[in-house]
Amino acid sequence: MSSERSLSLKKSTIIDVDVHLQIKPAEVAEYIEEPYRSIMTKSHIGNPLPDSGWDRSMAGKIERRQVQGPEDIHQKLCEEFHINHPIINAFGKLGKASMTKLAVSLMKGYNDLVLEKYLDGYDHFYGLISVATQDPEAAAEEIYRVGDEKQFVGVFMDNTGPNPPLGDPRYDVVYRAAEDKGLPISYHAYDSGFIVDFPRQNAALETFFSVHVLTHPYAHMLTMTSLFEHGVPEKFPGLKFIFLEGGVTWLPYMMYRLNKIHSIRRFDAPMLKKTPEEYIRDQFYVSTQPIGEPNNQDDMRKIMEVIGYDRMMFSSDYPHFDFDHPEGLEKFLRVNVPAKDRKRVLETNARGVYGI
Amino acid sequence: MSDHIVAEVSEIKDGERILVELKGREIGVFYLDGGYYAFANWCAHQGGPWCEGNLTGTFSGKFDRSTLEYRLDWVKEGRILNCPWHGWEYDIKTGICLSRRSVKLPAYPVRVEDGKIIVTL
Repeated sequence: MSSERSLSLKKSTIIDVDVHLQIKPAEVAEYIEEPYRSIMTKSHIGNPLPDSGWDRSMAGKIERRQVQGPEDIHQKLCEEFHINHPIINAFGKLGKASMTKLAVSLMKGYNDLVLEKYLDGYDHFYGLISVATQDPEAAAEEIYRVGDEKQFVGVFMDNTGPNPPLGDPRYDVVYRAAEDKGLPISYHAYDSGFIVDFPRQNAALETFFSVHVLTHPYAHMLTMTSLFEHGVPEKFPGLKFIFLEGGVTWLPYMMYRLNKIHSIRRFDAPMLKKTPEEYIRDQFYVSTQPIGEPNNQDDMRKIMEVIGYDRMMFSSDYPHFDFDHPEGLEKFLRVNVPAKDRKRVLETNARGVYGI
Repeated sequence: MSDHIVAEVSEIKDGERILVELKGREIGVFYLDGGYYAFANWCAHQGGPWCEGNLTGTFSGKFDRSTLEYRLDWVKEGRILNCPWHGWEYDIKTGICLSRRSVKLPAYPVRVEDGKIIVTL
């Protein structure tokens, strides 16, 4: 590849905080005791931690990339990508283990494997400690067991699966152990368990605080994604779509993530003729309430500028408990944005969209 | 600008490509349906070696508003190049990115003289 890229990257030191291993069942089996070793190698269903059936390759448009061992990581990441320090996680998907005891056994196996095969021989590699959240006591013990290894620099939790969700007090023992060892927690989701596990996790939220924080943006994200999956804005170019009561700040994240994934996987949403952002900036609107409340008010101005004052319409949601009084938003807009843009949010966008 | 002989016509079969280095740049030269196309091996996305990607077809969506029928056709087989890094799709004959129509990869003029393929760069 280009020497131009190499020259510029060589000047920087880069730490890559999310490097996954692809450890085969037979490989980790060597690091665990019976009977779990045999479960990993003799199970009649093949891999006891099965992946989902989703085709990442888009029918072979792109090849599957594999990382086979530490030398491969060194070659591909450190040499070709100029990563000085990869922080490796076993990506064991322990949440998929059908038995808690298997998950606990695998947890130790993955950590011993990472330590022996990846960290011991490669001083520039770092690693994250795998934990089986099914058994928080065992997870805490594991952090105390390997937490003093200098190259283990954090704890890795897969957060698609743990039920109840990972703030529950039953996990405090794990967080205390990590804090004792001075190790940060890294969370990572994965696609393969999401469809099954996510509803279960949602059902385990305990307060209306959680339900209300998540309901509106999640529902809107899901709806918006579905509209793009099937090309609805392309099919009905004269139609406008308004997302109420989610506030505004979720929109930039979705706009850019949809852009990114669509460009990679146009295969899955081929009805679209433009980037999702172009449709959003033409046909989509958000209502302002409940307006996000950054501690620094100027942050909201920056986000609104990214969204564009032509995409937002004032809403109060009165009499609901988290209503926004127009005075607050009007004052914010008066102080922070030009008069013509203030008028758009408070009045003229809605006039145009609803034909008033 | 100068001319560079990159291959004999017999060296690139229909649907195939070669990679050459000209003036320090990697160039992919493709032969498809009787035409030659040359591009820099540098994807507009993150600089991936897109000329090394797989040539496939792609889905094209059609929608009939009156019947609400929508159909996906697999079209342009062998004409769509997928960058091996992230699968950005480009039409070899135009250099246009299918997901971002404003993105067009710079192409270099190619011609054939006396059985030799010549790229101007």
